[in-house]
Amino acid sequence: MTKEEARILLMDYMYGELEADQAKELEQYISQHADLKQELEELTETRSMLQHLPVQSPQEQLVIMEPETREKTATSNWWERVRTALSPQAGFARTSFAIAGFVFLFVITGALTNMKVSIGDNGFSMTFGEQPPAQVGYTPSQVELIINQVQKENAQLVNQIVLAAQEQQEEQFQQTLATFAQYIDDQRATDLELMNYSLSSLEETTYNRFRQTDQVLGEIIQTVSTND
Amino acid sequence: MEDAQLVQDFLGGNHQAFNKLVGRWQDRIHHFAYRYFASSDDAAEITQKTFIKAYQKLDTLDDASKFGSWLYRIANNLCLDELKRVGRKRATSLEALKEAPQTDVSSSADGRLVRNEALVLLHKALLQIPNDQRMVVIMKEYEGLTFREIAEILDESENTVKSRLYYGLRTLKKTFDSWNINKEVFNYD
Repeated sequence: MTKEEARILLMDYMYGELEADQAKELEQYISQHADLKQELEELTETRSMLQHLPVQSPQEQLVIMEPETREKTATSNWWERVRTALSPQAGFARTSFAIAGFVFLFVITGALTNMKVSIGDNGFSMTFGEQPPAQVGYTPSQVELIINQVQKENAQLVNQIVLAAQEQQEEQFQQTLATFAQYIDDQRATDLELMNYSLSSLEETTYNRFRQTDQVLGEIIQTVSTND
Repeated sequence: MEDAQLVQDFLGGNHQAFNKLVGRWQDRIHHFAYRYFASSDDAAEITQKTFIKAYQKLDTLDDASKFGSWLYRIANNLCLDELKRVGRKRATSLEALKEAPQTDVSSSADGRLVRNEALVLLHKALLQIPNDQRMVVIMKEYEGLTFREIAEILDESENTVKSRLYYGLRTLKKTFDSWNINKEVFNYD
């Protein structure tokens, strides 16, 4: 016997669930191991302390009421009574009842809405009301005619688009030229105004210098005459 | 009348047989839950739920003679569900309890007061050990179930149950020592 095994047996021993011969064997083993003896004493003391744990009893007695009794006390709940009377109580019966109800509802709804269910190459389909007219196929000549017509329409459409694009480009080009010409005219007018202003300034400056020169010459002549 | 007979009577349509079972087991389930949660409200709620579930599922009980073990299994599962539901809240409260309260018998003027305080600490110590150990300690120490019955209820081996009990008691002993509680405290009347 190992100490771990002895500890497990110790639990049986403390609670009186060990056979007499096993108990005797364990007691002999414990007497040879002081640490196990100490453990047994401590565990026994712990148990004796746990026995003092207070406990509270329930404040009221539980009573489970019969379903019929609960029905009688809830007389105002008429829907509950109707539902209980109509629906079965067992789980399987309830499920069967629900499935049957669903099938019944499905059939009635199908009849009222003229529902048709079909399975074809494209899969499962369900339709309500009047059936759509069956799809009629085209002959090869009709297909060729349709293709030609579509090609013709496409060509016309492409032609219209190209023409519209050309007109738009031309219009944009004309507009750009007009803008550029206007810009050149404005620039030339501005340059002319600047040149005119510069010439006027030059002319005025020259005139002023002539006058200054005349004045200085006059002063010189007067000074020479006075000296003479 | 045995529990098994009452179970058979109920399944045969005698509704009052179930109320006799309730009357017979209500105190034990309530005490079990009270010791587990240390709360009268929780104990009452667990007890009520246990019997409602038993009422709904009694037709699934294979062996009517094991009604008691089956009832404990329901109560145990409900306790675990409750722990999961409010685990964080309970964990917080348990953390608060870990602050070791000190009880000094020699310096106390009123031994009876010390005893009352020790009784409270006793429950707090029980709340501090791991849930699976606490469950086994309660089932064995207070409900008096055999190791085989506990193993069936918890769906564990008997050795696992004994091991949990051993470590649960050892942890309790250490807690009592750290809080300076000994058996002499309970001798005051």
